[in-house]
Amino acid sequence: MEVVLLFVLIIGLLMFGVPIAVALGLSSILFLLAFSESSLASVAQTFYEAMAGHYTLLAIPFFILASSFMSTGGVAKRIIRFSIALVGHFSGGLAIAGVFACMLFAALSGSSPATVVAIGTIVIAGMRQVGYSKDFAAGVICNAGTLGILIPPSIVMVVYAAATDVSVGRMFLAGVIPGLLAGFMLMVGIYVAAKWKDLPKGDWLGWVEVFSSAKEAAWGLFLIVIILGGIYGGVFTPTEAAAVASVYAFFIANFIYRDMGPLHREDAEPISIFRKPQALVTVFFHPDTRDTLFEAGKLTITLLFIIANALILKHVLTDEQIPQHIAGAMLDAGLSWWSFLIVVNIILLVGGQFMEPSGLIVIVAPLVFPIAIELGIDPIHLGIIMVVNMEIGMITPPVGLNLFVTSGVAGMPMMRVVKAALPWLGILFVFLILVTYIPALSTWLPTSFMGPEIITK
Amino acid sequence: NCDPGEIVIKFSHVTNTDKHPKGIAATLLEQRVNDEMNGKACMQVYPNSTLYNDNKVLEALLNNDVQMAAPSLSKFEKFTKKFRIFDLPFMFKDVNAVDAFQNSETGQAMKTSMVKRGLLGLEFWHNGMKQFSASKPLLVPGDAKGLKFRVQSSDVLVAEIEAMGAVPQKMAFSEVYGALQTGVVNGQENTWSNIYGKKFFEVQDGTTETNHGIIDYLVVTSTDFWDGLPDDVRAQLTTILREVTEKRNAESTAVNNDAKDAIMKAGGVVRQLNAEQRQMWVDVMKPVWTRFEGDVGKDNIMAAQKFNTN
Amino acid sequence: MANTGHHRQRTFTDKLEETLIAIILGLMTIITFVNVVARYGFNENILWALEVTSILFAWLILLGVSYCVKITAHLGVDAVVNLVSAPVRKTLTLIAVVLCIIYALLLLKGGWDFWANYANLPETEGRWFFMGFEEEFLAKGWYETDDVTMPEMFQFFAVWFNEGEPYEKIPRLIPYVMLPVGMALLLFRFLQAGWAVWTGNKTLIIVSHEAEEAVDEAAAKLGEET
Ligand code: NA
Ligand code: NA
Repeated sequence: MEVVLLFVLIIGLLMFGVPIAVALGLSSILFLLAFSESSLASVAQTFYEAMAGHYTLLAIPFFILASSFMSTGGVAKRIIRFSIALVGHFSGGLAIAGVFACMLFAALSGSSPATVVAIGTIVIAGMRQVGYSKDFAAGVICNAGTLGILIPPSIVMVVYAAATDVSVGRMFLAGVIPGLLAGFMLMVGIYVAAKWKDLPKGDWLGWVEVFSSAKEAAWGLFLIVIILGGIYGGVFTPTEAAAVASVYAFFIANFIYRDMGPLHREDAEPISIFRKPQALVTVFFHPDTRDTLFEAGKLTITLLFIIANALILKHVLTDEQIPQHIAGAMLDAGLSWWSFLIVVNIILLVGGQFMEPSGLIVIVAPLVFPIAIELGIDPIHLGIIMVVNMEIGMITPPVGLNLFVTSGVAGMPMMRVVKAALPWLGILFVFLILVTYIPALSTWLPTSFMGPEIITK
Repeated sequence: NCDPGEIVIKFSHVTNTDKHPKGIAATLLEQRVNDEMNGKACMQVYPNSTLYNDNKVLEALLNNDVQMAAPSLSKFEKFTKKFRIFDLPFMFKDVNAVDAFQNSETGQAMKTSMVKRGLLGLEFWHNGMKQFSASKPLLVPGDAKGLKFRVQSSDVLVAEIEAMGAVPQKMAFSEVYGALQTGVVNGQENTWSNIYGKKFFEVQDGTTETNHGIIDYLVVTSTDFWDGLPDDVRAQLTTILREVTEKRNAESTAVNNDAKDAIMKAGGVVRQLNAEQRQMWVDVMKPVWTRFEGDVGKDNIMAAQKFNTN
Repeated sequence: MANTGHHRQRTFTDKLEETLIAIILGLMTIITFVNVVARYGFNENILWALEVTSILFAWLILLGVSYCVKITAHLGVDAVVNLVSAPVRKTLTLIAVVLCIIYALLLLKGGWDFWANYANLPETEGRWFFMGFEEEFLAKGWYETDDVTMPEMFQFFAVWFNEGEPYEKIPRLIPYVMLPVGMALLLFRFLQAGWAVWTGNKTLIIVSHEAEEAVDEAAAKLGEET
């Protein structure tokens, strides 16, 4: 019963405009002091350990940093050019290219809002110019941006892996097929809408443009090879892969694309490294480097502040043995695996209305994980279901990170973005049902690549 | 669930509850305490690192946020370097030698050696002898040359890996399987039960039965908590713990042998060393002894060696 | 309703804090990268790399949360507070600030209690509130980290905290000190934010659709197209 009080307290605090992190942390601390023997020092220890004790979570700052360098450093721009060259001539071509560009960027970045910012900033304006309505453009990108956490790498998957001790590499592989499928479904949806509403299509620019844009984008896209090839080829762990990706993106942005850093010039061709070799040293002190590091740091801090406090809440729940009680109650009720998954979907969809995805996963995963294992649900499959729910949570109010960001990059009020995103949300819902009830979509690739999942109860 | 008025004893550990030697012992202890001390004391076991991992549980114990734990013996090197004796390679011939040493005067004294730092050892729990597994056959120390081995944080274990010409790698335990599979690291050392439980054998060329070291646990409590218990509760706990320890320790060898058999049944390769090969490993590791002799105490090493003869 | 800190002039302290955040993240990246190079290129392993990176990670967050309060970067739910009238919003936000201050106070006490014994200092008395310092305690200045070798030049710490016995690894009191420090800074920034709300210089303490600033920028970029 006290647990209900705890969750009511959290939601109550949120309504006053308390930061999510503080709402989680303060409620947990008050609960702990009132109902258990644990000390404030144990809360502080949990807070510290959120960062220092979870080696898996260490991947998050690095993935965010890599993504920042690629957004600032002109990778997105080149990916979009390549996408337009490839699919721009279909009906609804620019919109389809926008989705395709989001998928490509998603394969470089671990975050959905970052994908919206990187691609949306350029594509939404471009779509307006060729005659799409702003609402259509914003709605498409807002949805396609959610693929950022489904197509690997993914911060939300990293959090799920940390919370449940499954392998990050396995989760990443599991996201590939669902990610491609979701992107494909969105593109088909756009194509149908385009035929029906007679939306503009671009010109076929020829194979020369395809190859020359591919060559330009290749430097950025090579990052996919570094991240996935590095992890599955045995060069490094997922965390290390993220750090290497950051260093690579830093190098590409400053010395190849030169859209930032000491070799960059506003409105002029960038300087050649041979004419300014000292750039190899000055780049480390360049304001662009500092600002990109800081922006990535800021995102990391706000995200981890939420995760750390969610871990405090998790600690309190564990300490009071709540997960066991809930699991016991649910199993006693004789839930079948498919009705259990409906319950999980509902919990996550409702939770997603108030919470940031990573924080929600930290809280919900330990509650449902033991039950899922009892019912014979594959942990990797469960993880993908959670990620897809989080995608939907990101485009539904009141807390929807992608909505916030899209309203920002498109210059539209929140409620208009919500309406614009709504038709495409339907596609994601169908997709959620597919992913929930066809486990093979998630498990086939990791199983055939890494062998069957080890389940230790 | 604990009733009001009962003394709550939280026991935090890092393994499953029903397959790992430590997990089984903790579960048995929980059952017996809750059955036999009902109304007086109540034990809650938190398995699978759900509450604390091995690195943090001792901090939590000293803060009285948990009351009992059983970390592996390496973790106590922070409290007194004497515990390094258990990490020294080829110090003990088998688990019986370890058992005899732990029950000797020297071994028993180690349980109280951390009292001034707030920690009291109650019982030693066995896991078993360590084996080496790698991405290629290991028969002589030279086979390990240049390979990357995952080790725990311990200067002794680092020195051990370096002594065989391999490269020690620090890595979170949860990442080891993936790293062995993809080749980020090439080998590791562990007991049969861990190699089987974590399925490491699936992603290794084979495991060599070196029995070169021991993974054991020490059940600890804080002196604060222990001294604050009523005499009868403390006495009854001591008895139950002693009986659980004797029962489970006697079966630990069987648990590990079963794991070894299961590995072979599942297609894992297990290699044996002949006397000559084994001696080569022993010789290579000798400098490690010399290096840590000062920490461990020469007399302690001699005391330990005594139990290898029978 | 400009409540993002970014539009105001960045002060010297702002730049200092931002640079510190940038440096910590940069160090984490470089250490991890160099460790990969060492392993892959030289078949070596920097054993302390993982632990140092983890410590820096914790420091990044502990130091950074206060700065993110200062620039109003923390996420929250603004649906309710944006529905109500300005005076009601101010009241709600003031209550929110008080709750944040309570949070920071509790964590400051917890942070001190966790760290103090590692630095041979007394914990505080009292379960909820500060009630003085404990008289007797178990000093833990001897407790070392796992892998980070103690640089010789810092062995004077051993004289201060370990009865002169040299440390092999750096003592835990060093990484953990950022807990009380970070929480004290957080308390300070919440007090400042409270004052700003009280005097009307700030309307909310959470990001309001994360967007205001981005909307401005995008609008500027798109010209008068909108
Ligand atoms: Na991604
Ligand atoms: Na939402």
